[in-house]
Parts: sequence; structure tokens; C-alpha cells
Amino acid sequence: MANNEASPFESSDMLATFVASTPLLAESWRLCNHANTSPAAHRSFVAERIGRVAYVALSGVQMVGGCWYETWRNMVALDRMDDVAVFSCIREGEEPVMVHAGILNLFNSLLHSFKTQMLEILENKDTKSVVITGHSIGGATASLCTLWLLSYLRSITSCVSVLCITYGSPLLGNNSFSTAICRERWSGNFCHVVSKHDIMPRLLFAPITPLTSQLNFLLQFWQLSMTSPDFGKLAVQITDKEKAELFTAVMDYSEAATQGDEEGESQGEASATILFRPFGNYLFVSEFGAVCMDSPAAITKMMHLMLATGSPDCSIEDHLKYGDYVDKVSWQFLTQGNSSMQRSIPESSYEAGLELAIQSSGLANQESLIIPAMECLKATRRMGPSPVLNAAALAVSLSKVAPFRAQIEWYKALCDEQDEQAGYYDSFKSRSCKKSMKVNINRFKLARFWNDVIEMMEKNELPHDFDKRAKWVNASHSYKLLVEPLDIAEYYRKGLHRTNGHYMENGNRARRYEMFDRWWKDRTRRDGATEENSERSTFASLTQDSCFWAKVEEARDWLDSVRSESDTNKLALLWDKIEKFEVYANQLIEQKEVSKDVLAKNSSYSIWVGDLRELKQLREKLKVFPHQLTSILDGEVVP
Amino acid sequence: MAAAVGSTEFIVAELVEKAISMAWKAHKTPEKHFILEKNRKGEPQQVFISFPASGSAKDWYSQKPFGELPIDLELFPSLKRIGHNEPAKLNEAFQARFQAILSKSSLETEVKDAMDKKRQIVFTGHSSGSPMAILATLRTLEKYPTTKSNGWVPPVCVTFGSPLIGNNIFSHATRRENWSNFFIHFVMRYDIVPRILLSPLSSFDQRFEPISQFFNPNHKSKSFMSESVGRSSVSSDFFSVVMSNAAKVTSHAASKLLGTTDSAIETIANFVPLSPYRPFGTYIFCTGNGKHVVVRNPDAVLQLLFFSAQLSTEAEVAQVGYRSLQEHRTKLQLNLGMENFVFLEQDQLENLPLIDDGSKDDISMACNDLGLSPRARLCLRAAAGLEQQRLINEKKLKEKIDSPEVEENLKKVEKYKQVMELKNICYYDAFKNQESSEDFEANVKRLQLAMLWDEIVEKLRGYELPDEFEGRPEWIEHATRFRRLVEPLDVANYYRHERQLEAGTYLGKKSGKESRPSRYRLTQRWFEHAERRKMEEDYSESCFWAEVEDLSHITINNVNGRVSGSFDKDVVNQTQERVAKLVHRIKVWIDNKVVDKDVLLEGSTLMNWWNALPSQYKNGLSIKSPVF
Repeated sequence: MANNEASPFESSDMLATFVASTPLLAESWRLCNHANTSPAAHRSFVAERIGRVAYVALSGVQMVGGCWYETWRNMVALDRMDDVAVFSCIREGEEPVMVHAGILNLFNSLLHSFKTQMLEILENKDTKSVVITGHSIGGATASLCTLWLLSYLRSITSCVSVLCITYGSPLLGNNSFSTAICRERWSGNFCHVVSKHDIMPRLLFAPITPLTSQLNFLLQFWQLSMTSPDFGKLAVQITDKEKAELFTAVMDYSEAATQGDEEGESQGEASATILFRPFGNYLFVSEFGAVCMDSPAAITKMMHLMLATGSPDCSIEDHLKYGDYVDKVSWQFLTQGNSSMQRSIPESSYEAGLELAIQSSGLANQESLIIPAMECLKATRRMGPSPVLNAAALAVSLSKVAPFRAQIEWYKALCDEQDEQAGYYDSFKSRSCKKSMKVNINRFKLARFWNDVIEMMEKNELPHDFDKRAKWVNASHSYKLLVEPLDIAEYYRKGLHRTNGHYMENGNRARRYEMFDRWWKDRTRRDGATEENSERSTFASLTQDSCFWAKVEEARDWLDSVRSESDTNKLALLWDKIEKFEVYANQLIEQKEVSKDVLAKNSSYSIWVGDLRELKQLREKLKVFPHQLTSILDGEVVP
Repeated sequence: MAAAVGSTEFIVAELVEKAISMAWKAHKTPEKHFILEKNRKGEPQQVFISFPASGSAKDWYSQKPFGELPIDLELFPSLKRIGHNEPAKLNEAFQARFQAILSKSSLETEVKDAMDKKRQIVFTGHSSGSPMAILATLRTLEKYPTTKSNGWVPPVCVTFGSPLIGNNIFSHATRRENWSNFFIHFVMRYDIVPRILLSPLSSFDQRFEPISQFFNPNHKSKSFMSESVGRSSVSSDFFSVVMSNAAKVTSHAASKLLGTTDSAIETIANFVPLSPYRPFGTYIFCTGNGKHVVVRNPDAVLQLLFFSAQLSTEAEVAQVGYRSLQEHRTKLQLNLGMENFVFLEQDQLENLPLIDDGSKDDISMACNDLGLSPRARLCLRAAAGLEQQRLINEKKLKEKIDSPEVEENLKKVEKYKQVMELKNICYYDAFKNQESSEDFEANVKRLQLAMLWDEIVEKLRGYELPDEFEGRPEWIEHATRFRRLVEPLDVANYYRHERQLEAGTYLGKKSGKESRPSRYRLTQRWFEHAERRKMEEDYSESCFWAEVEDLSHITINNVNGRVSGSFDKDVVNQTQERVAKLVHRIKVWIDNKVVDKDVLLEGSTLMNWWNALPSQYKNGLSIKSPVF
């Protein structure tokens, strides 16, 4: 092992063993099957409670007439679901998050009843966790339901665990969708069970337009068979030739999808034909075992390689065989298995692990696929130190950037002492203090540090409970309180508000601050403590609302508008906003939640208060002499 | 003829044979708490104490899914994570039974007698008698710590088919105290009992009682060996349930050993109850082919508990199910010749052959005899890999702490303290005032030194350091020096920035959250544990400044309060007590030279507070006189 920090072992196979050893697969499949076979559940779902786990299975029999193939591969943007914001992490310049239009429609038609059911489940205080599951198209709707539930639980800061288990689900979203799920750290909440040859999870790689009617018959066949094995015969059979065409098309396009990855151009227009991208975890099952993986590129490749060992017929039948697979993997742990394998085991631990994973995935019999499959697994190998060691290294880096923060604190104190009496926000904005340049450099260094932390989090390089550790929650919070005012100052100093709107609008605020807001909020929920207000006897050392100055800037804007606005309705609206802010600010000051720089004689806030007082006096006068309105506003008063 | 187990030379064949006979003999008198026999031939002379097994489900599981609870630290003060002050968890039913034995029997007197006579006590037990033997051994180790001068002989514990009894911290703590070698657990390859507590009681679905009569050695039923029920589906069902739960625990642990970073594992672990129990001590797996495989790495033992009972074909299940009960009950007959012991220590585990290549060396044969698949062997390698990684992590930290820079930084802070003392200023106050460039320099050194200790704390938290770490004298020494010298600066910095207004007091006992950095909280506990002292609950010699600051805040406010007419009597009483305690402690610390007299310099925060303190708080005490 020595200095090489790459993971010395391969774990995809053991992780799958863990998943399979739990009752989750057996229970969820049983309920999926129930949802598929009971007519009452068609186009809907069934719910059941086992101990403290609530199970909800979406029926795979969901098809709505002919609309399915018309919307085949159509995608629509997804940003809100039922008024709950879904993703907070899409960056500027990135492709918007898109999902399959038809599936989103299905979801929307279910949302109302699903939501009612869910709220009922959550109301029960015994509910510790929720499994949402579904077979086939039911799997894809289950994913969307899970996504809604995750967003909803986040908005109410609940700690119920959610797991989505799908069986043979079609693909659902684009690359941005997959990335966003990963950045929200929700990948671990999705487990997609995909059998070795099932064509359904791979179908959407291909633009099937020439084959849409056959596809429609195929979907019908599947759905009827799910309802009852005998019903399958009632469906219009598609010919062997058509099956073969379909199979070939999917093979070709799934291969094209993997090539996009290999050339490193999966994002962007080069792979315009490959719209869909796997997300979350995939549990690939074969007759020899299972492997579990979470890298979209590796999953795409594995989907292709495993399909390559199949035939047109079995690619269709496999979609209906999840019951058998679940049964098999659930009891596999009892025996050593793989005894029929002839291949030898390499001496190196890592290579041996790869070999075992290949055997479990059922590819070991296909000489030509072994090398690409190994390459695919190797690409997922962790190359850096383990998350725990990364966190320890970050603790060191945090100490290293501590002096930068200390210097800014010192700068803040210095500004409080200065003759200008403007406070650090205004001093920094006007660059009047000669230390400002140095502080600006520190500001950059700190931003880089915290951005790196967030990036590591999103890349899953830090321990899963990292954002719940007091050390990091507190450090990020005090960083935010100290430095965000400087970011705001810089924003207004450069006049960016004139082109991009105010700081608080349209994602002008750096994402790290929003993350830290959330960490802080979650902390209070965990500790069961509401923002405890031990009464302050002196002003806070840092203003407790880090966006306070941005609010001041907006309020100043409103004051300016009041001066030039003549429309009385608009004027009333402006006054309303101004007064709301005034109340808010007074409240903060009264509770001593602001630091003393806010009240410095020449701070933007103090000036604003002065302006407001003048303007109010004017308004009073205007009420007495309304006819003088224009002359006053045009002439004497406006500076 | 003497079978030496690794470095534990005291395990001799005669001793184990005697233990076996005692362990089974105890079952004949289940009404007795234990049986005792002396062996005058041994050198030192030995006393054997054996505990009988005990019957029903309630003796195995209390109500909760796995029936564990935090261990009684009064009985077992060492069984915890020291720094995090987190007690080990112990099976509640076993603990209750042990406590009953302590209170109702003469066990403690017998132990005292034997220890006084410098005898070696051998605690032993079979089946559910073993946990009693384990706890009696631990209790004796806690109560009679052996030193060169007292001549006590440490006890030994030999168990046969013992259930698991404690969690990972239980194992962690026994390794840290270097007690692993005192516990020898013999386990037959298929014996069901060592695996039972990996399952929640609920998973047996009422089957526990009926089946327990088959593995309970007390049970008088003669039916066991003869009747078909032992071979029926009852035993294979039971075996399957136990193995499926063992599979959950071991595959979860193995995924982590293999280094998975997949977040699904955390999500799923929220959905399935995973047993907290882990093996500890030295395990000896008896293969059934005459070989005894010795393993000490607890992660490896856990994997072996599962993999050694894995079937090679599904058809075996009926036969193995039967065997898993039968192997537990049958009295052991071991060939204890040295040549039959195979040691899987760190080296052997790291380089375990992955497949049966037909070689006839001991290690290969042992792996084959235990029926280990390549996957199983990989997991054992991974268990060794984790331990190896921990040793590497410690080594890297050792290099850092021994580096000249660290020493230089400490020297500079010491120098700072001296320079200030020459100026008649306590370095706490100088630092708090931050008036000179020396103060700034000292702050830089403080931060640099803190870095290393923060890294150590982070690694400890994630179990990325060897179990022994918190007990190693060299680390405790480094930590104590650092803490005593640097923590006053942290306190000064805290109150200089008036952080108490935002985050509560430095010690923060009231609001329940502590602002005191873990690098001091943890290291103070290491020191206290090493010195076998009671944990200080409020403050220590390195952070009493915070108490001074807090008291000063209270007394000033209360003086003001009196002016406004809301003088609080309770506050005065409490404060009086705190003042008295502080004054007393400072005196002791100064006498013991763990706190320097510079804290008493005129004008220090301490003296300023004391001088301004209204006499009703002082209660006739004085700070200066007892010292000078």
C-alpha cells in the first residue's frame, strides 16, 4: 500500500451483498408485484407499513393510451415540483435539469393522491423511514415521487430516511439531473435494480422513432404480463425481426452513450443524441450475484456490456423476471457461490476484487467483455485518500486559513476605531482604509477554501455526516457572518446590481452561503433547540443576519425611488417595503443582533436612517401641503 | 507440551483442559452462581472459577432489538472511549446477571482472597456462562491493576462458545488497555451461539425459546442427540435466520473495510437494524480437523464468524443447521499440542493466500479447514489493511509531533510566558490584551500547534488511529504539555473576542454546548484516565481561567442586580461554592506545580477579580496567603 492512497480494494460486489442481505429487496418487490397485479392500484400505488418502515409501491401498469410513444424521449425542464424547489445546486452556464415529459405527466397526475398518502404516513410519529418502490414505469414515477419527498422533507427539515428502490426502471433525466442529484447528495437514496439483460432500463438511450408502434406493442405486452402472466398472450406480438431491430438499436446507442464518456464529451452538444443519463445507485443483478455502483459513466458502460451478453428475446423477458432475481440474490449469501467459475483469482487484493465483481455481474463467461468490464470498474476506483482522512486534512487547512479570518476580524475592529466612523462594510466598499486590499485578498482565499470544501462534499469525498459536525457548522457560520458583508460590499462597489439586479435576487449570492444557511438551520433542528436567544447585553460581535447589508442596499434603492416616483400606488408599495425593513432593522438592533459597525455614525445604515427621517418629515409636510409636492422633490431637498 | 498462544505464555494445555472440565462441570449445579477449584501445582498457583449457563431468552435479550445498554462505568471505568467519554455498550441481560452474582454471592471475597495470595485466577465458562467469566475478569482487571510493586497476577479468561457481549467500543477499550491477551475464546467452526447476538430478537419470531433448549447445556432434555427435531427444519431455519443477520452485519462492515464511499450504505443502514455487538479478545477457531486458528484482529474475527459457517452448497443447510447446535453443546476435546495452533496475526492476514492452491503450509491449510472463499479471504486482508492504515496514520503523526518545528513552537510559547512573567504580567493577560507584537507571534504559534492536534482529534473521531492510541504514555505526555501551556491562550482569545456573548461561556455547561475545543477536552480526559483519576466535570488546571471569567461576569452582574433591587440569593450561594472550589483547586494546582505562580501576579485577571470580589462571596477565604 505504501504511499499509494488509492483504495486498495474493490467494494462494488460486497456492497451489493449488503443490499441483498437486507429484507428491503424482498419486501419492496413483493409490494411492487402487488401494485402491478391488483387492478385497483393500476395507474396508482399501494402503501403498507412493516414495523417503522412505510412502503409505497407505484404500479408499473401506468400507461395512458397512445400518448406514451408520442412523448417518447421528449424532455421537459424540472425545477419545482408542486411548489417545492427541487435543486439548489445548478450553476450558471449549465444545462437545465430535464426529465422525461411523459413520466413527469404521470407523476403530476398522481401527485395529489400521493401527497395525501405521504402526509398521512409522515403524521404517524412511528414512521422512521419510507421506502418508495416501483417496477418498470412505476420505477420511474417512484423516482420522481422520491425526489418530491426528499425536497419536501428538506423544506420542513425532517429527519425521516427515504429510499427509492426501482426494478427495471426506464431512464428518467438528463446529465444535469444526474449531476444535481449527486450534488444534493441524494444518490444514496436511489437504488435501481437492473437485471442483466432487461432492455427497458436501456431503451431511452436510443431514439426509437422508426420503431415506435412496435415499442408500443411491447409496452402493452409487458404491462399485461405484469398484471397476470397469462394476459401477456393477449398483446399484439411483435415479430422476431422487429425484436432484433430493437435490440440492435439499443445495443448501438448504449454503446454510443459509453463512447461519449470515453471521449470526455458527455456534457455538451457533442452527445446531443444521448439525452438520458443514469443517476443514483445501480444494483446490477445476474444469475451469479450482484454488483452495486454509483458512477453514471460506469453504470452506462455496464448497462451496455451486460446487454451484450443477451439476446433479443431474453432482453424482453428479463424485464418480467425481477421476482426470480430478487429471490436468488436474497439467499445467495448463505453459500460461497461462484464455485463453477474456472477463472483464477489474481494475487493482488484489488485485482482479485475486480475479478470477483466480474464473476458476480455474470460477465466472466464472455472473454471479450472481461477487459472492458474491468476497465469500467477501475474507473470508479477511489484514487485519493479516504473521506475520513480528507476530513482530517481539511481540519489542518481550516487552521491554516484561520489567520486570514483573524486579519479580517482585526480589520473590522480597526474600522470601528477609525475617524471616519463608517464601519467595515462601508470602509471596504469605499476602499477608504488602506488595509482593504489585503483584506480583499484574504476574502478570496477564504472563498476558495470554502468552495473547495463544498466541491469535495458534492464529489462525495468527505464523510457523510460532515455537514452535521459542530466544528464545520460553526466554522462555516462564523465565516459567513464575517465575510459575506464584504462580498455584498464588493458587489455594490462594482455596481453589479445595475446589470444583475440586487444581491439577494437571481442567485447573485454565492452558493456556499446558501449551503451554510442550510447547515445552520439543520443544526437547530437536530439539537431540538429553536434559535435560543440568551439575551444579549452588548451588541453582537458579528451581525447575525449576514445579508443585512444587502437589505440596506435594497432599502436605499427604494428610498431613491420614492423621491422620483409619482405614481401613488407604486409609492404606497415602496413605502410599505421601506417600513417593513425599518421594523426588521429596529428589531435586530433592539435585540442587539447587529454588531456595532451597523450603528457607526457614517455607516450606510445610519445614513439611510437619516435619509428616511428627512423623507418622512417631508411626507408629513406633503400631507399638509400636497400641492408643493413637485417643487420640493424637484428642487431643494433631493441631494 | 505447553501451547503458548502468541506472546501470552501463560496459556498452557493443562490450564485449558482444566478450564474445559470446569466449564462443563458448572452446568451440573446451575443453582450455584459459580464453582471454584484450586490448583496448587501451577506456578503461580491457580484458582479456577467457572460459571454455569443460564436458560431463557430473557437471559440473552432485554427488550430492545439487541438488548444492549451503556456499560456501568462504576464497575468498569475503563470500558469507554476516553477522549469522547463514550461508554462501551454491553448486553443488558448479561450485565444484570453479573450484578446479581456480585451482590448475592461470595465472588468478590473469593477474588480478593486469591489476589491477596498472589494466585492467578482463571475465569471460565461455556455458552451463556462465558459472559459471566468475561465480566468477572474485567472487573478483576479494573480493581486489581497489576504493577511491579504489588505482585498481583493478572487473571485469565477462557471461554467456550461464548456469545458476543459488547459493542465496538468494548473491543476498542480492551485493546487499548492491552487486555486482549487475557481473553481466550474457543469457538467451534459451526457453533451457532457466538453468532446469535448478531440477530435482533424479533427476527426469531418466537422461535428462540424452543430452539434455545437445544443449545442450552443446562437443559436436561435427553432428546437432543437422538430425536429427529434436532435435524428437522427447525434447526436449519434457525441457522438461516442467524446467518442472514450475520450476513447483514458482516457485509456492512466488510463494505466499509473495503473502502466503499457509496452513500447508499448509510441510507440503507437506516432501514435495517444492525447488531452493535462485536468480538473482542483472542479468538481460537477450532476447525474440526484438529487445527486451532488464533485471530486477534476484531474486524477479522467478525468476518470469520460469518464466513467460516458459510455453506459450500445449499444442500448442506440441514446438516450444518444440526451441526451448529450440536457443536455448541458437545464438550470440547482438543489436541492442545503447540503444532496445532495456527496464528493469523497482522502479517499473515495481510498476505493471506486468496485461493486454495494446494499448498500444505499451515496458513493455507487453516483457511481451507475453515472453508474460506476468496471473498472471505479478501475481507480478512481488508481487516488487516485497516489496522495497517491506522498504524501508518499514527506513524505520520509521530513524525509530525517529533519534528523540530513543533518543539520550536512550544519553546517559543514557553519563552513568551517567561518574558511576560519578567515583565510582571501573566501571559494569559498579556495575550488577552494583545498589545505587543510578541502577543501576535504567540497567537500564530498557538494556531500552528492547534493544527496538529485538530488533525489528531479528527482522526480519532473516525477511528483512523490504532485502538491503543489514547492510552500511549508518549501521546498523553505530549498532549498534557501542549494543553497546559496553550489552552490558557485559547481561553484568553475567547474572552478577548467576547465569544461568550455569541456562543455561551467557554466551558458552557449550562447551555449544554461546549465551546472548549475538543483538542483540550479529549486530551484532558486521556491524562485523567492514565492517572486513574476521576474525570473533572467542570474545568481543569488548563482552563480554570474560563471559570474566573465566568465568575467575574456573574459577580459583577449580581452586584449591579443588587443596585436595581433584584439581588438573587441562589446565585450568591452557588457562586460562593464555586468561588471556594476554585480557590481550593488553584492552591492545590500551584502546590503541585501544574499551575505556575504567575497567575497570582498583581493585575492579573484572577487577582483583579479577587480584589474586586465583594466579601460575601469570599467567605473568609483568601487567595494570596495560602500560596506565598
